[in-house]
Amino acid sequence: MKKIYITAALLSLLGLADALYLTVEHLTGETVRCTILSGCSEVLSSRYAVVAGFPLAGIGAAAYFTVFSLATLAVFGYRTAGTLLTPVLSAMFVVSIWLVYLQAFVIREFCQYCLFSAAITSALLLIVVIGRFVLKPASV
Amino acid sequence: MKRILPFIIILVVLGLALGSAWYLTRSTPTTPSVAGQQTSASPTGSQAPAVQQTAANQGVPGAEPAHTRGPANAPVHIEEFGDFECPPCGVFHPILEQMEAEFGDKLQVTFREFPLVPPHQHALAAASAAEAAGLQGKFWEMHKLLYDRQQSWKGQFDVRPVFESYAKEIGLDVDRYNRDVGSDLVQQRIFQDGKRGHSLGVKGTPTVFMNGREVPFEQLPPEQFRVLIQKELAAAGTRR
Repeated sequence: MKKIYITAALLSLLGLADALYLTVEHLTGETVRCTILSGCSEVLSSRYAVVAGFPLAGIGAAAYFTVFSLATLAVFGYRTAGTLLTPVLSAMFVVSIWLVYLQAFVIREFCQYCLFSAAITSALLLIVVIGRFVLKPASV
Repeated sequence: MKRILPFIIILVVLGLALGSAWYLTRSTPTTPSVAGQQTSASPTGSQAPAVQQTAANQGVPGAEPAHTRGPANAPVHIEEFGDFECPPCGVFHPILEQMEAEFGDKLQVTFREFPLVPPHQHALAAASAAEAAGLQGKFWEMHKLLYDRQQSWKGQFDVRPVFESYAKEIGLDVDRYNRDVGSDLVQQRIFQDGKRGHSLGVKGTPTVFMNGREVPFEQLPPEQFRVLIQKELAAAGTRR
C-alpha cells in the first residue's frame, strides 16, 4: 500500500496547489473578474462559490491538505490514517460531482480549475479504493 | 525520528501552503497609476450622450469622442472597462449608477468597451449595439438596457433581434442602427477602446480606474467604492 499512499500524497499536493490558487484569486478578486481565459468568473462569482462566508476553494484546500496529511501518515504506517482516507475522499468525490452538476446544468459555464480539482479527487478516490479493496496489500 | 518525520513533512507543507497564499495575496498589485486623466470640457446630465475629448497621459487613447457623463471639472473621474455580457460588470453597473446618484456632479464617468470574446459569445454584438446607439446620441440608454437585461439575452442563440428591439424601445432610427451596428466606424471604436485597455494592462472586466489609479476589484462593492470616492474628494478638497 505504500506506493498507493505516496501517489495519493503527491496527487493531493496537486489538488492543494489548484485549490490554493483559486483561493488566492478569490480573495484578491481576480477570478471573480471576467477574463478571456474561461468561464471561471461566471462559476466563481456565483452564489455557490461561497459557503457560510468561506470561499469554497479554501474549503477545498483544507480538504486536500487533510488528504495529504492522512496519506503521509499512512505511508509511515499509521493504519487509522489510511482507513480514514476512503470516507474523506468519498465525501470529496460526492461534493465534486455536485459541483460539476452545478457547472453543467445550473451555472452553465465551466471553470477549468474546478474541473481539474474534480479530476484529481476522482483519481485519488480511484487509486485508494483500488489499493484498499482490489489489490492485495502485500502485493502493492 | 521515523515516528515524527510524517508530522514534520505535514507541518512543512502546511507552512509552505500558508506562506505562499499569504505572499500571493499580499503581492497582488492594487493601485498601479496608469489610467488617463480627463482634460476635456463636458456636456452634463445623465441623459446626454456626453461624448467628449479625453486625452490620456498614459496608455494609448481610446475611441474619441469617449462615452462620458458628468462635468469635466468633476473632482473624481471614473473610467470603466466593461463587457456587457460579463456578470460582475452587470453587478457593478447599478453600483456605479448609485454612486452617480449620490455624488452628482462630483463624478465624471467614462465607459470603455472591452468585450471578451471568448468566452462571451455575444459581448461583441452587445458592444456594437451600444456603439451604434451612441452614433445616434443614445449610448447610455442602450448601455443601461444591456446591463439591466443581461440575464434575458446572454443565453439566447441570436441576440440581433433582441438588440434591435432595444433600439426601437429607446427611440433609435432602426434602419440607421442596423446599418451602423456592423459598420467599420463602430468596430473601430471598439478596437480603439480595447487597444487603450491593453495598453493600460487591463486583463479582465470590470476594470475601473479612479483619477488615474486602478481600483482593486475587491473595492468595487458599494461600501468600499463609496469610501474611495470620499477619499478622492477629500484629497481634491485639500489640493484646492
